[in-house]
Amino acid sequence: MFARYRSWGRGAPAVRASVRCRGGALDAVINPYLLYVGLALGGLGVCMALPRRRVSPQVLGAVLAGLGLGLVLLGLGLRSERLPNFNFYIFAAIALGAALRVITHPRPVYAALYFILTILASCGLYLVLAAEFMAFALVIIYAGAILITYLFVIMLATQAPSEGELDALAEYDAEARSPVAATVASFVLLAVLTTMLFSGAESLRARDGAGLDAPIEMMPQRAERSLREAGAIGVVDEVVGVDASAWTATLRSGEVVALPESARLTNVERIGHDLLAEHPGSIEIAGVILLMAMLGATVLSRRQVELEDEAKRRQAERLAAAGTVFADREVSP
Amino acid sequence: MSGSWTIAQASLPAPMDGVTLAHYLVVSAAMFAIGLVGFLTRRNLIIMFLCTELMFQAAGIALIAFSRFHLHMTGQTFVIFVLTVAAAEAALALALVVLLYRRKDSLSADEWAELKG
Repeated sequence: MFARYRSWGRGAPAVRASVRCRGGALDAVINPYLLYVGLALGGLGVCMALPRRRVSPQVLGAVLAGLGLGLVLLGLGLRSERLPNFNFYIFAAIALGAALRVITHPRPVYAALYFILTILASCGLYLVLAAEFMAFALVIIYAGAILITYLFVIMLATQAPSEGELDALAEYDAEARSPVAATVASFVLLAVLTTMLFSGAESLRARDGAGLDAPIEMMPQRAERSLREAGAIGVVDEVVGVDASAWTATLRSGEVVALPESARLTNVERIGHDLLAEHPGSIEIAGVILLMAMLGATVLSRRQVELEDEAKRRQAERLAAAGTVFADREVSP
Repeated sequence: MSGSWTIAQASLPAPMDGVTLAHYLVVSAAMFAIGLVGFLTRRNLIIMFLCTELMFQAAGIALIAFSRFHLHMTGQTFVIFVLTVAAAEAALALALVVLLYRRKDSLSADEWAELKG
């Protein structure tokens, strides 16, 4: 039983053999001109939206970037017989818009908050893709734990604005470093990436999901519970074997009964089985990595560090400047 | 039961259309590119690490989309390990950022230009 499940997991050489990488394959998914014009527009928009010291056309940039990505998604829709769930477009727009705001917002706290919005929209995408467990895990781990740590550090490590200049930004936040070169490099990478993805994805056929419920063969008690809840077997009957492909269970009496639809495994059960039955070593290593990271972070942040002379001088200047403003305030009324 | 959309219904093993996968891959690749632009252009150390998290997130979307496409659980399981690495990275990177800040009283990456090569 288990051997068959394994071969299903590794298998489908036919799928891999049917992947063809030809130049013409891209055309089957999207019109190449549309793709490249969309990506160029997106790149131009992102470049315009990056923070600059002089007034930057951020809104125009964001609109252009959205238009570019909209063109690409629209172009994809033109060639496909089936479109993704409508929710996909909403979540994708929120996720990418918030991602753009993460890299363009000059204030770190707001960037972190927009990153939480990206995470929540990604959770929406996960739900559309029927990955409920990962969606909730993402909210708890990312939005709940990692981003709170980020917010703490941002608040710890940001100079308090001196009074009277609450809107002043740190110099390194106000201006992007070589925005044009970075955008060109990233969007050329994006163009190559999408071209290669679509060249390969064209004839990649989705596998059927018959094997998804295969783990139930190792959980006879789970099948027994579903059968009992469905009223298919009595209290004394006991399931001794399950055949996932025929979707039947064998009782101790030798009788074979059909499993109800409610016996289908849930997302959490499938992930749990895959995690613990298929990758037991990896989860141990993940635990060790987390432990080492925790120890490392504790050891690192315990160390006492002296300010360098240069930094001391700057800090003194800043404090002095803030003090003058404060003194002026005291005198003026 | 029928007629109303439920989350449980969404987990029915219906394979995604081959062309629909491309939509998710475009979103994932675009998010990765945005993260890369941010990592290259921003000079605030914390924002730079936030951009690496953005790239992790893009990889996660691609993994989940492929998991759905192949109807194979390992894609989703792998996202758990991506989350693990992201959490470990965040803990260590932020501890380092706090150290660097205490030393230079600034979060600018340019302060540490002397570290190059």
